[in-house]
Amino acid sequence: MSATIARAQTVTAEAPEPDENPVRQRIGKTVVYTVLILYSLLVFVPFLWTLSTSFKTLPESLQLTWIPQSPTSAGYITAWTQLQPVLPVMFGNSFLLALLVTVTNVFFGAVGGYAFARLRFPGREVLFLMVLGTLMIPDQLRVVPVYQILVNLGLVAPGPQNYFGITLVLAISATSLFIMRQFFLTIPFDLEESARIDGAGFFTTFWRILFPLARPALATVAILSFQGTWNGFFWPLIILQSPNHWTLPLGLAQFRFQYSTNWPPLMAVDVVATVPIVILYLFFQRYFVSGLSAGAVKG
Amino acid sequence: MLRLRASRGSLGTERAQEALAGYSFIAIPMMLFLVFNIGSLIYSAYISLWRWEILGPTDFLGFRNYAFILRDEVFHTAIKNSAYYTVIVVPIQMALGLLLAVTVNQIWRGRSFFRAAFYFPAIASSAAITVLYIYIMNPDGLFNHLLQLIGINPFGFHNQGNWLGHQDTALNSIIALNAWTTSGTMMLFYLGALTAIPTEVYEAARVDGAGPWTQFRRITFPMLAPAHYLVAVTSVIGALQMFDQAIIAGGADGNPNYSLMTVVLYLYNAAFRQFEFGYAAAVGIVLFIIIFSATLIQRRFFGSSDWAEAR
Repeated sequence: MSATIARAQTVTAEAPEPDENPVRQRIGKTVVYTVLILYSLLVFVPFLWTLSTSFKTLPESLQLTWIPQSPTSAGYITAWTQLQPVLPVMFGNSFLLALLVTVTNVFFGAVGGYAFARLRFPGREVLFLMVLGTLMIPDQLRVVPVYQILVNLGLVAPGPQNYFGITLVLAISATSLFIMRQFFLTIPFDLEESARIDGAGFFTTFWRILFPLARPALATVAILSFQGTWNGFFWPLIILQSPNHWTLPLGLAQFRFQYSTNWPPLMAVDVVATVPIVILYLFFQRYFVSGLSAGAVKG
Repeated sequence: MLRLRASRGSLGTERAQEALAGYSFIAIPMMLFLVFNIGSLIYSAYISLWRWEILGPTDFLGFRNYAFILRDEVFHTAIKNSAYYTVIVVPIQMALGLLLAVTVNQIWRGRSFFRAAFYFPAIASSAAITVLYIYIMNPDGLFNHLLQLIGINPFGFHNQGNWLGHQDTALNSIIALNAWTTSGTMMLFYLGALTAIPTEVYEAARVDGAGPWTQFRRITFPMLAPAHYLVAVTSVIGALQMFDQAIIAGGADGNPNYSLMTVVLYLYNAAFRQFEFGYAAAVGIVLFIIIFSATLIQRRFFGSSDWAEAR
C-alpha cells in the first residue's frame, strides 16, 4: 500500500492524464444515481407508508393504497382519547424526561468539560480516563446494580421520584463530557487569564466567558441528549413503574401487543413519536453528524 | 506571564484555589459516574455471587450462578441467536455502509441530500421503527403486497407470509431491519474515512490504467482499514446487545418459539420477570466478557491499535 502511495506522489508530479472516455463515464453516473435513488426509496417509503396508514380506516390499512381513499383522523382520535395512557400524557412524559436529561447533560457536561480542559488539579488525567472507560461498560451489565441502588434510594416507585431516579441514571454521559472538553481545549487560554486578573472567580469566569462561547458544542450535546432520551427504550422500561409515567417508546411497545392489528392508531402514535425528531433533524442536521463522529471515538 | 505578575506572592494559594474549583466542578458528574458506572460494575460482580432476589441477598452461591447459566438450555438458545444475529448482521451492515459511502462519494450534485436521507432511519426510535416494521411485515402488510405485485405468492411460502411470526424467518427479518436502520450510521463512518484518502492516489492509479473496480479493490478498500475496524467494533458491540427489536417484535419470550431470544432479553427475563438479580447479574458479567473478547479478537484481526489516530 505504501508503495502505491509513494508511486502516486512521483506520478502526480508529471502531467495528469486526460479523462477516460465519456460514454463509460456517463454509464457510471447513471448506475450511481440509480443506486442512490433506489436506496432513497427504500429509506423513505416505510415512513411515508406509516404516515399514510395513520390517516386510513382499519380495512384500508390492510390494502395497497398509497394515498388514503377516505382520509380520516380516527386513528389519531383513538390514540388521543382511548389508549392507556392517552397520547398527550405520553407525549408530555417523553418531553419532560428528554428536557430534564438534556438540561443536566448540558450543565454537567459544560462544567465538567471545562474543569477537565482548563483547570489544573491532581488526578485530572486519571479521572478523565475513568470517565472515558465507562463507555466500555454495556448498559446491560449495570442494569441490575443500578436498579438495586435506585430501589434502595426509594426511587423505583410510582410517583415523581421515579423521574428523579431515571434522570439520575441518565444525568450525564461520558460522550457529553467528552464533547465539551474537546471544545474547551480549542479556546485560547489568555481569554480567561485576563478575566481572572480582574478578580473574577472560577465559576464567574466559566459562566460569563466560556459558557457563551461554547454554543456549538452545547447544541451538539443538547441535541444528542434530547434525541437519545426521547428515543430511549431500555432504561424507561426498567425504571418507570406506572403506565401514567410511560414515554412514547414504552407506550408503542405496549400497544403493539394490546392493539396488535389496529394499525391506524398504532401508526398515529408512531408518527407522533417520530415527528419531533424529524423536525430536529431537518433544522440541526450538522449537529447530529458532529455528535456522531465524537461518539465514534468511544469504540 | 500575566498570571505571574498578578499572583507572584500567592502562587501556592492560587494553585490550591484552582484545584479546589476543579474538584467542585467535576464533583457531581464524577459521583454519578462512580456510583452508576464504576461502582455498578463492582456491585454487579458482587451480586452475581449470591442468590439475590427482590428483597436482597439470601445465600452465598460463589460461582454457582455461572454454572446454572451455562447449563440452561434457554441460555444456549439465546447465545446461539445472538451469535447468529451478530455473524450475519455485521458483514451486511459493513457492506451496505461501504456501498452507500462509496456511491455517495462519487457525486457532487445532491451529495448532502443523499447523505442526510440515508442517515434518516437512524434518528428514529427503535420502538417506532420496530412497530412500523411489524406492520409492514405482517401477512397483510406492504412487503407481502409488493411481493405479490412482482408475481411472488408469499402465502405459498412455508411461513404463510408471516415473516416475524414464523420461527424460521423472525430473526432474519430483524437482521434485515437493523441492517437498514444502521446502514446510514455506517455510511457516515466510512464517508469520513473516504474523504481522507488523497485524490492523487486515484489519479496515479488511473494513469497506470486501473479501472474503477481495480481502484476500489487495490486502493479504497485497503486504505479504509481503520474505518473497517471502527465500523466492525461498533457493529459487533451493538449486535451483541440487541434487545429492543426482539422484545417489541417477539415479547419477553422472544416468540415465536424463542427464535428472538437474545442474551440481553434473557438477562431482562431473569432480572425483571423472575426477579433473580444474582443470576441476572451473572448473565451481565458473561455478556461483558463476550463483548470484551470480541473486541480484542477484532483488534487482532484488523491488526491496528492506532485506528483512532488514523481517522
